[in-house]
Amino acid sequence: MSPLALIFLIIGIPALIGLAYIFVRGSAGLRRYILTRIGLLIPMVFILASLVFFVMRVLPGDPVRSSLGPKGSAETVARMREQLGLDDPLIVQYGRFLGDIVTLDFGNSLTGGRRPIIDEMSERFPATLELVIPAAGLALLIGIVGGTLAAARRKRPFDYALRLYSVVIYSIPVFWLGLIFQLVFGVRLGWTPIAGRIDPVIATTLERTTNILWLDAIITGNWAALWSSLSHLVLPVVTLGLILSGVFLRLTRVNVIETLQMEYIGAARARGIRERIVVGSHALKNAIIPVITLLGLQVAILLAGAVLTETVFSWPGMGQYLVQRISSRDYTAVQSVITMFAMLVALISLAVDIVYSLVDPRVRY
Amino acid sequence: MATSSDILYSVRNLTVEYETRHGVVKGVDDVSLDIRRGEILGLVGESGSGKSTLGKAMMRLRNGSARITSGELWFDGQNLMELSERQMRDLRGSRLGMVFQDPMTSLNPVQRIVEHLTETMLTHEPEWTEEEARARAEELVERLGIRRERVKDYPHQMSGGMRQRVMIALALALNCDLVIADEPTTSLDVIVEAKFLDLLKELRDEFNLTILLITHNIGVVAEVADRVAVMYAAKLVEIGDVNQVFEKPLHPYTEGLLKSVPNIELDSGALYKMEGSPPDLSSPPPGCRFHPRCPYMMEEVCPIYDPPFAPPEGASEDTRVACWLHHPHPQKVAIGA
Amino acid sequence: MNLPVQDQETAVPQWEEELARVGFVRRLLRARKWYGADWWFVAISSVMVLAFIVVALFPQWFAPYGPHEQVGPRFLAPGETPDLPLLIVRADSGLSTLEDLATGPDDEVSRPPIAVLRGAPTAGALREQAALLDDELQESDSGLRLRPNIRRYDTVEEVLQAVQEGEAFAAVLSSVQYEEAAGQFPDLDAPSDISGGVASAGDFLLGTNQIGQDVYSRLIWGTRVALIIGFSASLVALFLGVPLGLVAGYAGGKIDRVMTVFMDSLYAFPGLILAIAITAVLGPSILNVIIAIAVLYIPTYYRIVRGQTLSVKQEVYVEAARSIGAKPSTILRRYIYPNVIPSVSIIFSVNIADAIITGAGLSFLGLGLPPSTADWGIDIARGQEFIQTAWWLVTFPGLAIMLVVLAFTMLGEGLTEILNPKLRDR
Repeated sequence: MSPLALIFLIIGIPALIGLAYIFVRGSAGLRRYILTRIGLLIPMVFILASLVFFVMRVLPGDPVRSSLGPKGSAETVARMREQLGLDDPLIVQYGRFLGDIVTLDFGNSLTGGRRPIIDEMSERFPATLELVIPAAGLALLIGIVGGTLAAARRKRPFDYALRLYSVVIYSIPVFWLGLIFQLVFGVRLGWTPIAGRIDPVIATTLERTTNILWLDAIITGNWAALWSSLSHLVLPVVTLGLILSGVFLRLTRVNVIETLQMEYIGAARARGIRERIVVGSHALKNAIIPVITLLGLQVAILLAGAVLTETVFSWPGMGQYLVQRISSRDYTAVQSVITMFAMLVALISLAVDIVYSLVDPRVRY
Repeated sequence: MATSSDILYSVRNLTVEYETRHGVVKGVDDVSLDIRRGEILGLVGESGSGKSTLGKAMMRLRNGSARITSGELWFDGQNLMELSERQMRDLRGSRLGMVFQDPMTSLNPVQRIVEHLTETMLTHEPEWTEEEARARAEELVERLGIRRERVKDYPHQMSGGMRQRVMIALALALNCDLVIADEPTTSLDVIVEAKFLDLLKELRDEFNLTILLITHNIGVVAEVADRVAVMYAAKLVEIGDVNQVFEKPLHPYTEGLLKSVPNIELDSGALYKMEGSPPDLSSPPPGCRFHPRCPYMMEEVCPIYDPPFAPPEGASEDTRVACWLHHPHPQKVAIGA
Repeated sequence: MNLPVQDQETAVPQWEEELARVGFVRRLLRARKWYGADWWFVAISSVMVLAFIVVALFPQWFAPYGPHEQVGPRFLAPGETPDLPLLIVRADSGLSTLEDLATGPDDEVSRPPIAVLRGAPTAGALREQAALLDDELQESDSGLRLRPNIRRYDTVEEVLQAVQEGEAFAAVLSSVQYEEAAGQFPDLDAPSDISGGVASAGDFLLGTNQIGQDVYSRLIWGTRVALIIGFSASLVALFLGVPLGLVAGYAGGKIDRVMTVFMDSLYAFPGLILAIAITAVLGPSILNVIIAIAVLYIPTYYRIVRGQTLSVKQEVYVEAARSIGAKPSTILRRYIYPNVIPSVSIIFSVNIADAIITGAGLSFLGLGLPPSTADWGIDIARGQEFIQTAWWLVTFPGLAIMLVVLAFTMLGEGLTEILNPKLRDR
């Protein structure tokens, strides 16, 4: 079984069980909402994929020319165009492109061993997940805890410090922060390795199944590999997580402040509810709802940040793959990776919407 | 005259200040007020007169920049100003309850009705089990005329009247002694309002409640209150038995208020409109605060001297008014002395 | 918690009504009086933005060297004095450069004797430089040649002694060696260096890079590229997004639905990845970077303008104006523009910040800009290779990006506070 399929199993089975549970326990309205929302996924994937097609094929600029560079002879160009089917009418190309997405068959890569692109991606995808999920978790944690505390201590030094933090962190380029962390913690202090996913010597001892290295290490009980993979993970995750945390902090802070001014907060205080519960439960629960809706949009920043972070830390994920294939001018692979990202965005926005409908009782189905 | 054991809550010389961009404003200025056990006291006044600020201050609730700068709050023999914030919190919700103006916005939209109730009960009675609290919540809600199953609903699934009854249920959850109801019927339509007021009276007898009913609606006071207090520009101007005040108002402001209500019959036939508007509290007029609008203003007294809030000459202790029409004039006092 | 509504009426002036009636400029001027907005936030960030604009317009005023000039030794740390090979002559000799030592073509006898320290790298530098000069002289047909007679000595003192006593016309020593001994030889002078560049000691504020360019100068010149990308991309997006939003919001119906679906999916797509795709197809040039980034920001303008147009259109006074036959252009000018301009100006400022970060990201990945451009992203990418030894190569360009982005973000924040008081706490 390919690692990609395994990942889909690991994420997909709990997701399916969860969905089934919601389906059985939820109201008829909720059921209908989820079905419609899943139905809407198809046009969304379609539109995003068409966007990719538009960018890659309809924009002025010839992908073959730009991929072969000035050295490509007319003969080579013609052969490559034919190979890629670029001489067919645009509409035929478009149909073929959509067909490839449905079958998840993106053809073979033009460079290296000419392996199927889907195989190459399935090796890289787990690495991106391994980086992106804890980073998002870290950002949410910092954002929600910090934002709530800042809102509760509004207009005091703590609040000003956190606001400053969120503006400054927003202004820092993610790749630069990564480099500075490498410089400080890797080069100067020598606490962490500065690149890669795992020590290459230890890597040879690790048997891979999911290709999420720490998970494989736990499964096989390979503690040296676990330690090595976790220590490689720290810097990239912290880099990406910190950059994202500013946005969440701001959002949470504003929303908690807004909810703290609501009448029901005053009413809860008038019932003698403890301040910690008033802020931490009553206010936060209401404030978190708009934060969840915006989470969907932050996915875009997360994935873009992942591309840069992977490049800085030589992290062999989808982002690094994309950059490598661009520099090796592998046009087919580039298009496939970008399509893959588009599908990921669509899936995550579906997940966010479903979570939102569960969290907010007022949502109209 | 009421004896001290009859008095449940006594406000003594309370002053509440808050900061605005135009300086410090006294939202409540040297107000003294007694609430008797088992009564419904109506507190009326225009918007901005400070009645809501007074209500919140009586629970020592933080209210924006508002601070209690002086005065005492005696509740059942305890001075609330001497309690710690923790002790104060224990009183709120268990002995002092509050019902807010807008029941839509005073219930947490993501909390079920039953969770509101059980949370309040378990906060104050931690030894109760979840089931006990839940059972009591259902019983209470049913008593207030909401079907038992509806406790699982979220606030947005209920009507305005139902939500306001839930707010009452929250105050009754632990048998509060005093309920401060801040404009509880303002957002309800007339029929729902009447039903709600009837319910309030029933509950007062059944649960032995004392209610401070804050409102700008004289009609509501006439319907349910035993006594009425009138507030103008951060000060109390008149207090007395409801029938007596409505039949024979002492303060010109009270008189103006009553005349401007269309469905209360006074001698004048045409609808009356009071001259002028309430003063800016950041710079209140000197002397009696009502004098710029008062039809009976006396040049040599009212703009200069602040009238005392005291029983008028020859009347019982139960009635108090702050107007020179009913008190010996300061000059005369000076000459007499 | 808020004051109850009743009390607020007396406490706060009615600025909200006034606000709805006045335009952009008066809001800026009166915001502080009305609702205490912190104008100094806008003032500080405006000064920063203006400073960056001046630097971008006139980098030559601030940068000691050109962006591509290789002016010093390689990998000089910030503040470190470069150890240059100096030409040392007698102060009264009238010689000041190596060229002054050139003589007639075949005059073997007068090959100028030059003293160097045995085994020191300065001897090599001298040989190199002299050979270069000789080639130049031959090409210029002036009849002059420079073929120095290099004499080696064992100590610095011996070298300087030789010059002082006229044994040698000049000497070449590293500046560090010379400074140590200069006190003992008051008659000598070091009029120039023979590094081939124009730099003198202590000139490299932020050090030099791997090919001997001045890091500070490249930072200054890089401002230009960053601001060009930021401003142009934002402007292009504005000129496309605003009209599209107006049309969609005003026309409604099918046009609106189709455009909104398209814009929403564009908005959801990870911006940098889309920009990567576009630059990969279009090839490297600054124009293509601007196009790629502009495409990303069209939806932000579109969404806000469309939303505001929709809500303004439904206002009673606009419906009234339409019912008495006001032309769409009048409604646009009188009612919609004033409502849209504040939001658009805020987005404009924030988008510049975003565009600069995205542009830097693209050039960091080696996409978009031609590799020789003086650009912060490119400098960081090139410096990454040497991160173990030369920390300053990545640190300073990153700080520059951060400062510029911070200035524009803060400007956006301040404008939000002034123009949109209801969002004051956001």
